[in-house]
Amino acid sequence: MVLHTMSRTVVLGVIGSDAHVVGITILEQAFRQAGLTVINLGVQSSQTEFAEAATQHDADAVLVSSLYGHAEQDCQGFHETLEAHGVDALTYIGGNLAVGQNDFEETRRTFQELGFDRVFDAETTPEDAIAALERDLRISTTANERATVTT
Amino acid sequence: MIGDEPLSTDELRRIDRTIRADWPTGEAVDFQEAVAYHESLPRHKRFADVLESADRPLLQPRAGVPLLEDQIDLLEYLRESGEADLLPTTIDSYTRDNEYGKAQEALEAARESGGETLNGFPAVNHGVDGCRALIEAVDGPIEVRHGTPDARLLAAITFAGGFQSFEGGPISYNIPYTKRHDLAKTIEHWQFVDRLAGAYTERGVRINREPFGPLTGTLVPPSIAITVMILEGLLAATQGVRSLTLGYGQVGNVVQDVAALRALRSLGEEYLPNDVCVTTVFHEWMGGFPPDEARASGVISLGGLTAAIGCPDKVITKSPQEFRGVPTMEANAAGLRTTRQIIDMALEQTITIDGIDDEQRLIERETRALLDAVDAHGDGDLVRGIVRAFETGALDVPFAPSESAQGAVLPARDDDGRVRILEFGNLALSEDIKAIHAARLAQRAETEGRERSFRMVADDVDAISDGRLIGRPLGGERRAD
Repeated sequence: MVLHTMSRTVVLGVIGSDAHVVGITILEQAFRQAGLTVINLGVQSSQTEFAEAATQHDADAVLVSSLYGHAEQDCQGFHETLEAHGVDALTYIGGNLAVGQNDFEETRRTFQELGFDRVFDAETTPEDAIAALERDLRISTTANERATVTT
Repeated sequence: MIGDEPLSTDELRRIDRTIRADWPTGEAVDFQEAVAYHESLPRHKRFADVLESADRPLLQPRAGVPLLEDQIDLLEYLRESGEADLLPTTIDSYTRDNEYGKAQEALEAARESGGETLNGFPAVNHGVDGCRALIEAVDGPIEVRHGTPDARLLAAITFAGGFQSFEGGPISYNIPYTKRHDLAKTIEHWQFVDRLAGAYTERGVRINREPFGPLTGTLVPPSIAITVMILEGLLAATQGVRSLTLGYGQVGNVVQDVAALRALRSLGEEYLPNDVCVTTVFHEWMGGFPPDEARASGVISLGGLTAAIGCPDKVITKSPQEFRGVPTMEANAAGLRTTRQIIDMALEQTITIDGIDDEQRLIERETRALLDAVDAHGDGDLVRGIVRAFETGALDVPFAPSESAQGAVLPARDDDGRVRILEFGNLALSEDIKAIHAARLAQRAETEGRERSFRMVADDVDAISDGRLIGRPLGGERRAD
């Protein structure tokens, strides 16, 4: 289901020196189709780039992707950086967050302790992320908007 | 911005002096002496001669380890047990980032521990003598394979070190590989690499150059890959390169792959100057592999069959352990032998498949349109045309991380598994060509009972590793009607 809904802005990017581009390209398409305004920072984005983009575009959510296993190092101090830039946004992280992900619950706790509101594994579909954003941002659709929903 | 002009001898010398000061091993490079060294090599180690005189597709694996002795053993094993015709030396990631200091630390750690501290052979650190020791110990022609946007020092050292083939180019080693390297700057850096290859060529040592055809390796439409190959070929020819191998990565649909290989050869010969010898290389599937060696061998075999029908001059093979990264030498050799077996069986029969000519015509029309757009963007200069066409998105590569490209094109497979374009961005294709792509994707959408959308792209990216070609919903079953 794709919702054409009120404009919310999300900042999206791959953190650190990670160059995996396919996943966020697909996420960008999915979020746009869901009616969100997407600022895609692309691969190899720094904490500061996330924070500056979130400030500049008054983002509702900052979505971090990482697929090369070094997310924990790359995200040290991430929320402090956001705070220093005055960013008050929802934060998600997803991907292959640890090398040899044996116990995802442990990985989830690690990243929740770093301050992320939600933590997703690499099997997450774009629809799962959109559903979570809708819940967390309390995006609701009017009957009129529902009429334009495409499936 | 620089233009598509040959670098002058003075300029070549000036840059050569500057870049050789970047790392101590640069000192040992002596062009005149290196020409004499190349002349001393036996004919069966002269890469261009071996490739251009072959009467069947030659096979080449990928392989690179940090230590010289290990690299010699690995290549000799692949030559003897894998029956590789051409050999590679894959360069490590630090060198690709011009981080020679980090490569040196890792190389010294490898010498102490024997461990795999680098993901390739740090040729700059091994220097001219190290490269020559490799060239002399291995009984076949060897190519430098890498992924380096600024490969000037790597080229200076490896050419002087006896290598006669060098992969890469300013578009194919920038747009798919990095985010922040400026395209115009990268073109300038590759003008030096190509001019240096040209200088050797003028002295009778023909250095083979091979633009990297697979680009992002993820569902790249053939016309985009072929356009980039011709553009890089033209830039290299301007600098004096006379042996060019244009590349293309398997998409997995046999008709489209054979059509693309034929279009690549035909357009390459048409667009490049007559004094350039054009050869072609086919890369076995560069996307995700099944996590199962038997299934992976199946993917490799389809590549071999395609090569036998499409007849490229060279095939870059994959190993059945592709899904887990760098393969063991045994698995690497197995990929070579699997490919050899299929190619040699298929070459002895006539295989006729309908539809190849039509697909080739479509690929050629699209490629000509993209090349015309680059020309129109350049106001008479190819370099300006390339940079501006990428800026506007008139030329684009799907899933490109580079800030020099729009990266707005999204590909998806049609109902027959051929790669079509779902989102064009500003790609300079005519409305009637776009309508063909839209119609093919609409046909798939109907078969699958869903809208054309990014979901198809996401499903297609994983399809081959999931054991199929097309990313169908619900386990990939076609609708019963």
